Amino acid sequence: MSILHVNQLVARYPGAKTDTLKEISFTVNPADFYAIIGPSGAGKSTLIRCINRLVEPTSGTVRLFDQQITQLPPRQLRQTRRHIGMIFQEFNLVDRMSVMDNVLSGRLGYTSTWRSMLKLFSQADIQRALELLERVGLLEHVDKRADQLSGGQRQRVGIARALMQDPQLLLLDEPTASLDPKIARDVMTLIQQTARDLQIPVLCNIHDVALAKEFCNRILGLQDGRMMFDGETHSMSQQDLDRIYEREVL
Amino acid sequence: MSPLTQTFDHYSQQKRQQQWKHLAILAILLLTLLLSIHSIIIEDTDWQRIGTLEQVLASIGRFAALDFSLIPHLGVPMLETFMMACLGTLLGLFFSLPVAWFGALNVTPSRRLLYPFSRFLMTLSRSIHEMVWALIFVAAVGLGALPGILAIAMRSVGFISKIIAEAIENIDPKPVEAIRAMGGNNFQVMYYGIIPQIKTLVIGTIIFEWDINIRRSAIMGLVGAGGLGLTFFRQMAMYNYGGVTVVILAILTLILLGEIASHYVRKAIN
Repeated sequence: MSILHVNQLVARYPGAKTDTLKEISFTVNPADFYAIIGPSGAGKSTLIRCINRLVEPTSGTVRLFDQQITQLPPRQLRQTRRHIGMIFQEFNLVDRMSVMDNVLSGRLGYTSTWRSMLKLFSQADIQRALELLERVGLLEHVDKRADQLSGGQRQRVGIARALMQDPQLLLLDEPTASLDPKIARDVMTLIQQTARDLQIPVLCNIHDVALAKEFCNRILGLQDGRMMFDGETHSMSQQDLDRIYEREVL
Repeated sequence: MSPLTQTFDHYSQQKRQQQWKHLAILAILLLTLLLSIHSIIIEDTDWQRIGTLEQVLASIGRFAALDFSLIPHLGVPMLETFMMACLGTLLGLFFSLPVAWFGALNVTPSRRLLYPFSRFLMTLSRSIHEMVWALIFVAAVGLGALPGILAIAMRSVGFISKIIAEAIENIDPKPVEAIRAMGGNNFQVMYYGIIPQIKTLVIGTIIFEWDINIRRSAIMGLVGAGGLGLTFFRQMAMYNYGGVTVVILAILTLILLGEIASHYVRKAIN
């Protein structure tokens, strides 16, 4: 059974003259590391934000397992968002909080309001946070403030935070665009390895085609909100790539 | 004429116009200043009453004869002034939180109603002088420290809530997005996404306002709202100029202590 099924998705921002996304359909399967590539302004970020409705789609449907995300009322939407981990281009950590608190905050969706007010996370959560910090190699930085870390380290905190949610799907929005090439590959390797170990499918925006080809088994090519390619990575030809990037929006 | 000379001429003409404009503004300012000096200072002052220079100096000199017998009676009003400032600031902060929340464009529950209303409250609080607030509350709740506390609280709301509202508007939206994406509710977004970003600034602002409120509470007594101001008022009414100076020195001491305390606390939180 497919994990995520997107059907005829259209998104238009209020006041915009054209649709940012034009009838996008694709399916993510359990073992997928799915890349969305395309020139800047193609709608990659909008597409990935329509999945967890940080951006409201105009029409079309998004289905995660057997749940229609596009029709959920606010409370259920929050409950479903818990199962979707997200990793961001600029990490989106709370700079003034410690590394540990940032990772623990991944459990907020599972924590009651008053417990979160007192930062009362369960023993199991704390144990899990430490395990994940060890996995991403940051165990010795637990008590540091998030803004004291380097870019690559901060993204590792972001990864640990997303994994804290016990996600059934990982959304990555340009996870390497703020990192230098070597660190970018390290981070991609870490995500790939972790996704394999924990059996989490990944949907990943990435503008670096070489990284996409190396790490992803499927590729969706967007251009100006339109799907130009969708298929196995090895089936993508140079012509396909040229078509995706032929009208770069500057 | 080449395009370059044309542009050059155009440029120098613009420059000349600008210089004339500056000159005109300067002339208007100067004229206003002269008129003000004439009507307010020269015509409005009772020169006969001022008398000679010696008389002026003698009047000032009366303040120099310090009345130390007053000192034992200053402890209680000093403490009262200090407490008035502390409680007024706390109460002001308490009122500021909802005003700031409603008055920050990115988090306000209603942009049509609550936002403009909060902005109006912020302006109202600051445009009415603390003494006027004190007069209103003395009329409303009678003499003593309570009207002083209320006046200081009302006067503080404007500044504290405006700073908090603007801090909320200027937060980095990225952590907020992350907490929404992981399924956090509105409270968790605020508590984990917004508050850590504005905490230092808010604490600094409260200490700054507390420091100012010590000054404010020192004069509250002039309209019957307790503290050192009341002592000042009584000494003045008894024409005990030496005593007045001692009270002023006490106010100065209190303000200095507040200044030193706020300096160290702000240093500690940064």
